[in-house]
Amino acid sequence: MNSHDRRDFLRVTASGLAASLITPALAFARPAIHASAPVRIAVIGVGRQGRAILGELATIAECAVVAVCDSDDSRLQAALRRAQGVKGYASAAEMFSKAADIEAVVIATPTHLHKELVLEALKAGVHVFVETPLAHSIEDLQALSEAGKRATKVVAAGFQGRANPIYSLARSFFKSGSLRDLATLRSQNNKKTAWRTPGSTPERDKELNWHLDPALSLGLIGELGAHQFDVYHWFLGRHPVAARSRGSLRLHKDGREMPDTVACELVYDDGLVLDWSCTLANSYEGRYEMFGGSMAAIKLAWTHGWMFKEADAPTAGWEVYANRQQFHNDQGITLIADATKLAAQGKLQEGVGLPYTSLYYSLADFVKAVAEKGAPACSLSEAARTTAVAIRANEALKSGAEVAIDAKLLEAL
Amino acid sequence: MLERLATLAMGARFEVVLEARDRPHARAACEAALEEIELCDARWSLFRSDSLVARVNREAGEREVPLDHETFELLAACAELRERTRGAFDVALGVRMRELGFRGAAPRASAVRPADASEAPFVLSNSRRSIRFTRTGVALDLGAIGKGEALDRAAQVLRECGIERALVHGGTSSAVALGAPPDCAGWRVGLEGFEPARAIELRDRSLSVSAPHGRTTLRDGRELGHVLDPQTGAALEPGLRAAAIAPTGREAEAWSTAAVVLLARGLDPRALAPTHIELHTSAAAPHSSLRQPLSTTR
Repeated sequence: MNSHDRRDFLRVTASGLAASLITPALAFARPAIHASAPVRIAVIGVGRQGRAILGELATIAECAVVAVCDSDDSRLQAALRRAQGVKGYASAAEMFSKAADIEAVVIATPTHLHKELVLEALKAGVHVFVETPLAHSIEDLQALSEAGKRATKVVAAGFQGRANPIYSLARSFFKSGSLRDLATLRSQNNKKTAWRTPGSTPERDKELNWHLDPALSLGLIGELGAHQFDVYHWFLGRHPVAARSRGSLRLHKDGREMPDTVACELVYDDGLVLDWSCTLANSYEGRYEMFGGSMAAIKLAWTHGWMFKEADAPTAGWEVYANRQQFHNDQGITLIADATKLAAQGKLQEGVGLPYTSLYYSLADFVKAVAEKGAPACSLSEAARTTAVAIRANEALKSGAEVAIDAKLLEAL
Repeated sequence: MLERLATLAMGARFEVVLEARDRPHARAACEAALEEIELCDARWSLFRSDSLVARVNREAGEREVPLDHETFELLAACAELRERTRGAFDVALGVRMRELGFRGAAPRASAVRPADASEAPFVLSNSRRSIRFTRTGVALDLGAIGKGEALDRAAQVLRECGIERALVHGGTSSAVALGAPPDCAGWRVGLEGFEPARAIELRDRSLSVSAPHGRTTLRDGRELGHVLDPQTGAALEPGLRAAAIAPTGREAEAWSTAAVVLLARGLDPRALAPTHIELHTSAAAPHSSLRQPLSTTR
C-alpha cells in the first residue's frame, strides 16, 4: 500500500468510526436566521465595546442598526460617524420617547447602569441584549432576574461562551464523559495593560474609568473573570459554594486602589476547585479555560479549543487524521466542528479556528431569538447567577476571608 | 511626559511615541492607540480565521457578504484608487500573494486564476453595504492599506483623548504624525536608501515607503519582492523605492505602492498622483543588506 492509499484508507476508516461519535450541536457556519424583515436595533452605550458591537451588527444582514445612544457627546458623534445614517440620542429615555420603530436594544454601558436601562427598555416593549457582568450588586441582580422572568420579550445576556460554537463542541465532549473523572479546573486572563481609558480631560478620565472605582466596579474578578466563570457554570451545570480571593498591586501603581493581579478559588460542594487568576502586568498565555479529567484535558481559548488525551485514554477514530498542535511536551488535538466532513474533503486545516468572532455569534444568536421568537443562548437568570458568584468572589477579595455562596440565593435568581 | 509603547499586529511592530499631561494618561493613550490597531488587525487580518477579510475571502465568491461601514468605505476607496492608479494599486491580490509564498501556504492550484486587470475583482452594493467577488480565485489582501488605515484610526483615537503630539509607526515603513515635538517643525524621519539620502519633517501628515525588497521570496533562483504588478501578477524585482507623504495613511500607502509598480512599468507616478500627494522615488540598486526604510528621531 503506498502512502496515498494508506492516507485514503485511514480517512475512510476514520470517517466510518467518527460517524458514531458525538455530532456537534452546532456547525461552525454562521447561524441561519429566518427573519421576515431586518430586526431594527438600537445600541445604548457606544464606548469601546459598543463600537465593536456596532461593527458586528453591521455584518448581520438580518438586523439593521437604526439608533445609537450615549450620554457622552464625543462618543455619540464618533459612533454616528462610524455607523452613518442612524439617529443619535443622549439618553435612553429620549430615544424611547422619540423613536417608535426600535424593536430591540443592545446595552453596552458601564455595569452599574445596566439595571435601570434593562427595566426602561422592557417598559418600552423592546427586546433586550445586555452586556455582562449583569450588575454590580445582588439587589440589582434580583431586580433584573425578576424583570427577565416577567418579560414577554427576548432578554439575552452577553456571556459569549454560550453562543460560541467551539465552546458548544467542547461542552458536548465534556458532557459525553470524554474527560472521565474531573479533577482540576484552571483558568486565567493575563494581559499587560493599564486597563485605563484615556479621557480628553482629568474629569473625563474619572468618568471613563468607572471600572477602577471599587464602589462601582466588580474589578478584575467581575469584569473579566465572570465571563470565564460562566463557561464553568455552563459546562458543569452547577455553581460553587464558597470563594477565596487574594490580590495585590504589582505594576500599575498610578494611584488606583484596585489590585492589578488577582487569584481566586471557587470551591464546589464536592471539593472540586476552580483556580482563576488574572494579571495586568504580564501577557503570557493570555486567556483560557482548562478542564482536567482522568482521561483528557480540554483547553479553550475563545477562538480555538484543544483536547489533550492521556496515554491510557481510548482512541477515537477521528484522532487518526485530527489536526494537532504541540505545546512543549503536550500534543493538543484541535477541536473542529464537522471534522469528519472536512477531512473527507481534504479541508481539515480550513476548519481550524472560529470563522466569525465570538461577539458575532453572541449577537447573531440574539437576532435569531428575536426574529424566530426563540430562547437566547444566555438567559438573564443564568447571567445573574454567574454574576452573583463574581460578586461574592469580589467580596472575598475585599475582606480577605472566605465567603459562602448561598445556593438558595442563586436558585431564586 | 513622553511615553513609548509597542504592539505586534499585521505582521509588523507598531510603536507609538507621544506626549501627554501625566504618565497614567500617556500610557492609557498609547494603549488605546495600539488597541485600535489591534482591532483593525482583527477585522482585516489574513491570518485570523475570524477576521472580516477572511470571511469575505471564504464567502464572497459565492454570495454577497455584508460589511461594516468602515470596511465598506475602505474598500470603496480601494476601488477608486485602483482606477486612479490605472490598476497599479489593487487589494484583490490575495491569491497571487499566497501563490508566491508571501502569505502562508500556497492555495490549491485549481483556485488560482490569472489576474485580469480589465475586470474589477469585486463589486460593492451601496444599498446592501455588501461585497461580492466577480470571479473565482479572488481574495482580498489589505496588507499595506490596512496598515495605513490602522495608523489613521490610531491617530484619531489619540486626538479624541486630547493628545496633540505623537508619532505612530508600523514596521518602520509607515508613519503618521500628530503635531510636532516641542520646539521642532515636525517629527524628523530619515528616508534610507534614497539617493541622495534625505530626511523630512513630518507634521500632521502620513508617510509610507514601499520597496519590493522589504520582504522577498526566492523563485526559480531569482529574488522577488513582495510588491506585485496587479496587471501581470508578477512580483517586482528588488531595486525600486517610493515614498509618499499624504494627509492620511490610507493614501500614503496606496500611492507609495502604486508608485513602485508604475516605476517598474516605466511610467512616472507623479503624472497620475493628485497634487496633495508628495512622492519621492528611487530606482537605485538595493543595498547589499536589507535595511529599514525609515529611521525616526525626535
